Formats: sequence, structure tokens, C-alpha cells
Amino acid sequence: MNRKLKKILLNWKVLLLIIFLIGSIGSLYARGLTFGIDISGGVALVAQTEEPVDSKTMELVVDSLQKRLNTFGLRDISVEGQGNSIIVVKVANVTSTEEANQLKVVIESQGVFFMEFDGVIFGTGKDITYVGPYEIKPDNSWAVPFRISKSAAEKFAELAKGKAGWPVDMFLDPPINSLLVVPQDVFMTMNGTGFNAGAPDAPPLAVRIEKALNITAVMYTNQSAKELKEMANGRTIVLAGVPRALYDQLKAMNVSVKYIQSEAGTDTTTFIKEILGLYGPYSLGEGLANGVPQTDVQITGHAANRVEAEREAKTVYTVLKSGSLPVKLRVISMEFISPKLGQDFKNQALYAGLAALIAVLLIVYFHYRNWKIAIPVASTSLFEIIIILGIAALIKWNLDLPSIAGIIAAIGTGVDQQVVITDELLGGERSAKITRRAGALKRIGRAFFIIFASAATTIAAMSFLLVYFVGTLKGFAVTTIIGVLIGIFVTRPAYAEVAKYLIGEE
Amino acid sequence: MAKSKTKKPGQTAEVRARSREKLKFLAEMEPKKMIIYPLVVFIAALLLLAVHFPPLGIDLKGGVVVTGEGISANPGQLEKELSSKLGVEVHVESFTSVSGSKGIRVYAPAETDPQKIIDILKEKYPNADFTHSEVQPTFGEMAKKQGTRAIIFAFIAMAVVVFLFFRNPVSSLAIIFSALSDMTIAVAVMGIFGIQLTTATIAALLMLIGYTVDSNILLTTKLTKRKEDTIEEAYLSAVSTGFTMSTTTLGALLMLWIISTSPVLDNIAAVLIFGLLADFMNTWVFNAGVLRWYLSRGVEL
Repeated sequence: MNRKLKKILLNWKVLLLIIFLIGSIGSLYARGLTFGIDISGGVALVAQTEEPVDSKTMELVVDSLQKRLNTFGLRDISVEGQGNSIIVVKVANVTSTEEANQLKVVIESQGVFFMEFDGVIFGTGKDITYVGPYEIKPDNSWAVPFRISKSAAEKFAELAKGKAGWPVDMFLDPPINSLLVVPQDVFMTMNGTGFNAGAPDAPPLAVRIEKALNITAVMYTNQSAKELKEMANGRTIVLAGVPRALYDQLKAMNVSVKYIQSEAGTDTTTFIKEILGLYGPYSLGEGLANGVPQTDVQITGHAANRVEAEREAKTVYTVLKSGSLPVKLRVISMEFISPKLGQDFKNQALYAGLAALIAVLLIVYFHYRNWKIAIPVASTSLFEIIIILGIAALIKWNLDLPSIAGIIAAIGTGVDQQVVITDELLGGERSAKITRRAGALKRIGRAFFIIFASAATTIAAMSFLLVYFVGTLKGFAVTTIIGVLIGIFVTRPAYAEVAKYLIGEE
Repeated sequence: MAKSKTKKPGQTAEVRARSREKLKFLAEMEPKKMIIYPLVVFIAALLLLAVHFPPLGIDLKGGVVVTGEGISANPGQLEKELSSKLGVEVHVESFTSVSGSKGIRVYAPAETDPQKIIDILKEKYPNADFTHSEVQPTFGEMAKKQGTRAIIFAFIAMAVVVFLFFRNPVSSLAIIFSALSDMTIAVAVMGIFGIQLTTATIAALLMLIGYTVDSNILLTTKLTKRKEDTIEEAYLSAVSTGFTMSTTTLGALLMLWIISTSPVLDNIAAVLIFGLLADFMNTWVFNAGVLRWYLSRGVEL
């Protein structure tokens, strides 16, 4: 018996299982398990970009969002880009719904920022690499220093050469690619020198935005909805301060249209700034007009009093700081789980796992009336769970509820396959039980054909879940695949060896 | 282990022989009947789906869910109260967790502010613990598309793997049909019990592909690759193994379903249970019928 036991323990397949087990316990001990926010509590948000982006832009979005949320004072944030338009944000340690909703606002209020000069966009939000603290001088002038990327600086230097005093415009979320329909006074102001920062030679605002942002401003002279649709030629129509009825008519014609109300008491200049998301124009300083690229620049202004100066400086500071996303985001799904509920789920999953193991033990015993089969089958499943968890700890996989469901599902298939091995070993009729070594090998081989075929199909099916699914279900696929792989390469071969020994003895 | 309760050697074999005796009626069934009954069930499931498809969960159609734990309330009454205060139609469900604490789930249409629901509930139940989720219809649209794509591709991948393993159109197609029928029946039963189609249940349907193929591969291998036994003997041995397999898995899933109060885990378990029950019929009756009919014609597989 002892010699036999030694022999089985020294079998390399059993040894492999033991090594994996020790490794997993070590990994669990050293690194511990990390839980998904649906267990530890927190917020999971799925945001979508306004339009599909390339992988480089996606990286930028993920990166700047991470930074922005970090500066917001949050810890344990994970931001992950998926595909060409989805960003999954998970934040742990969020304890109230208010806090969760605030996060949503932060993500959605990320604007798209453009810097324009002489009708050319020379930089976007991603070109701003640093924004310094603003300063207010005793004469109520203010300055916001910031740093732009080298490429933006070079482009700007070339554009700005010899054009000191010309207007520099900044836009946050302008209505790009649109037909802008405005009343006469707005139209005249945009085409006059009012937005030229005191440089009469510079092209007027209407020209600059048409060239830079493809926004064509037209004066409203009782055009019909049909005429406007033709003029827009597929672009979005932005109606600002014109009769509301037009909006409904265009909407009914299935035209993409936006309506901006002019508030009573707002002056034309403010209204134009609001329509365009315009900040500025800021006058180009002498020092920047010499054609030499400079990455450290600043926006300056002058206000009537200190409070006003502070407000202006702060606005510019915030715009520069928050406008660092290359594309606008919309939160399309959000889930908040309180830590207390999560804790309940964790306990339930633990109990369910234990209960499932006990159920397996009892059912297998009931089928075979033999503890020598039931105990190894149930223990193999237990070992499998330990190894899956060990690997999860090793790769710092966040165990969420779908991952746990995946583990339980993997146990289900694991037990199935152990039953196949057992039955193959037990053979058919008692009379046919002339189990010689060759017979057992052949039977195990047949069992493993079945096991490999079903493992291959499960992995094939789950890989598609992994590749084609966004959001939170990846965990399910990952744990299932890990479970199946551990099963076919480690636990099942070891079980087969042990079973050969235990059942063969009978 | 040495002092195991297995006193008589061979008790295992006796128990197994008895369970085979019980399953013998399957072996004696006529192959044609074995094919027709499951086909009728499959068609019935299809018809059922046509008239009553399972409701879509909020993660597939968009909407708001607020969960409050530590609330013991009459769902119907709360539903009326919340609906009138919010001005939108809400649906309220109650549940009891394993620890005995009661809770409610409030379902509201997309664009409803979950904070408003929570504020109203907090006034009435200041000690409750709240959790909320909201999904925009655009996300639902995307998840639906991806879910469909994942299922179709997974199914094709499974079919390819099965073909590669068996290289025979009849046995491979029988397995693929079984898997399809399992999924169809599982979805139809979801409709009957009002279980929502969500990303989690889609994952469960994918998992079902793995489970289904297990037992079908076992059956096909035993019937076609084990030449030393008669077809009846091979079938009986496969069905008794399959019966053991299904009951252990069902047992494990039942535990998960009973103990968890998490809708994600519950729904995954429920769908797998439906699918496994359907699989029992599709593998051991339908697929076995096809193979026996095919083999009885004396064709070499």
C-alpha cells in the first residue's frame, strides 16, 4: 500500500498537480485576490466616443481620462479602451450614488478643444501638455501659462510669423461641420472686426471658422426649411436665435439639427461665444510672431477689476486643463454597487461554491456508492478552483461576478470529464472487466479524446466572447478558458492516474 | 481511505447495473420515435419563441435599475407610489437574500434619473443600502449586436471543431443540431419563466455550447469508435455516464441558483439548468436516435 502510494505520488502528472497547487497557494498568499467592483463596491461606467477613433486616439483618450480622474482625487481607477469607440471606466471605493453620478458628469464634460489662428487649426486638446497656475497682476491683467507640443509650436510659429496682434481663437466643443443660421446682428458682428482683437487686417471670425472648422454662417432671411436643408448639404444645421418652428420642420425632414436659444439680455458678442464655444480671441504677443517655435506660451487678458480678472483666468485655466480629450465622450451605461451589497455577493459565491462541491461529492457517491471515487472527484474540483484562483491572483485578474460564474461553470465541465474518465476505467459489463494495463491505457485514451474535443469546443466558443464582447463579461470567458486549460493539462491527467490506482485496485 | 465504507467489492458495479436497468427503456425505443419526439419539442420551442420571446434585460434595451437592500415593502404598493411621484411607469420586485434580509429592485425606463428614485426611497427607508445602474438604449443596441455576433461565431467555431474531430457529416450535424435545439429550448423556457435576456444570460447560452458538446461527443465516440461492444451496450454505457454527468452538473448549478441572490449568477445558473435538461433529451434521445438509425443501416462511420 505504502509503496503504491509513493508510486502514485511520484507520478509526474500527480507531481505536476501538486506543484501547481503549492504554487497557487503561494500566489494566493503572497498577492491575494483582487475583486471586481461588483463585489468590492464601486462604479463601472461604459462610455462611447462620439465617432469611431483610431487606436492612437483611443490611447490618448484613455490616457487623458485616467489623468483627469486622478487629479479629481480618486484612487483605484481603471480605464480601458475596447474596440474603436468604447471606454470602460471602473472606480473602486465609491460609496454613495451622488459620488457615482459626479463621475459621470466629469467624464461627459470632457470637451474637445481646438486652437486656431488665421483660419488654421494648429493644435487640439492633445497638444496641451501642461497647464500652469494662473496669475493676476495688480493692474487686473491676468495670464495662464501652458505648454504645447513641439509639432503644434512649429506649426504655430510658421503661421504667426509677422502677425503680431492678430487674434488667436480657442474653441471648446464648437459645432464643427455645420451650417450656422443666425439673425442679422449676429451675422454682421461675425463678419466685422469685433472679433479681431484689434487687428483690422486679420480675416473676420466668420471666415476663420469657415476655413478652420467648416462652419458656414448664414444670415436668416426667412429661408424655408427646404432651402436650408439644401444649403447644409448633409451637414448639421445649427439654428441660433431664429424662429423655433424651423427646428421642428427640419426635424420632421430627418435633418440633423440643433437649436440654441438666445437668452434675453445677452449681448451679441456673448451669444456668439456661446454658440461657437469660443474663448478669446486673444491677441498674439510680439514675442510669438518672430517665427521661432516656442512650446511655453501663455494666454493673457485684462479685466475691469480683480474679481473679473480672476474669473476670466480661471475659465481659461479650466478650459485648457479639461479640454484635453481629442473626442467627446458619452456615458452609455453605468453601474454602481455599494460595498455592502458586494460583500453579500462575495459570501454567497463562497457558500455557493462550497455547496456545489458538496453536492458534487454526494451525487457522485450516490451514483457509484464508493467514496474512493467520490472523494477524488470532489477534491480534484476543489484543486481546480484553488489553481484557477491562484492564477487569478498571479495575473491580478479582477474577480467579478461573471468570473465567479465562470469558475463554477468550469467545475461543472470538470466533473463531467472526471465522470467520463471514471466510467471508461470501470468499463462496461463486469464480465468484460479483464482490465489489463493496455486496456486501461486505451480506455483513458478514449476518455481523453472526448475531453480534448469538448475542451476545444468550449475554448473556441469562449474565445469569441472574449474578442467580441464589450463591457463586463470578459471575466466569464477568461476564467472559463483558464479552468478548461488547467483541467485538460493538469487536473484531469492527475485524476486519471489516481483513479487508475484506486479503481484498478478494486 | 483504507477504512472506506465500500465493504463489498463490486458494489459500484451493482449500483451502476441497477441504474442501467432503469435507463434501459431508452435503449429499447425505436430510433424513428427517438428522432421525432425531440424534433417536435424543438419546433414547439420555435413556435413559442415566435409568440413569446423572453423580455430583454435593461443592459440590452436600456433602462434604470435601483436596488435597495434592507427594505421590506409591498412591491405593488411601492410601484404605484413611485410611478405617481416620478411620472414614469416603474416596476418593483422584491427579493430575500440568503442572510434573510429583504430588498427591492426598481426598474424604470431609460433617461430616468436614478438619484430621484433613491431620494424618494431614502425618505421612506433611511437605513437601506442602495445600488443603481443605468443603461442608454445605444449601449443596449451595441450589446445586442455583439451578443448575436458572439453566439453566431461561437456556434460556427463549435461546428468547425466538431467536424474536425468526427469528419462525418451525419454525426457532426446531429451534434450541431442538438446544440442548436438546446439553446432554442433554453431560450423558450426563459420566456415561459420570464427570465430576461441579458448579457449574462447570453454568456450562459454560450457556456451551454460547451456543455452540450461534452455529452454529444461522449455519445458519438462511444457509438462509433468502440467497436468491441454492440450498439445497445455502447449506448447504455454512454447514457449511464451521461446521466451521472448531467446530475452532478445540475446539482452544482442548483446550489448556485439557490444560494445566490445576485441576478447575474441566478440567471446564468437558471439558463444552464434549462439547457442541460434539454440536452438530456437532445443527446440521449435525438442524437442517439440519429446514430442508431444511421448505424442500423450498416454504414461504417
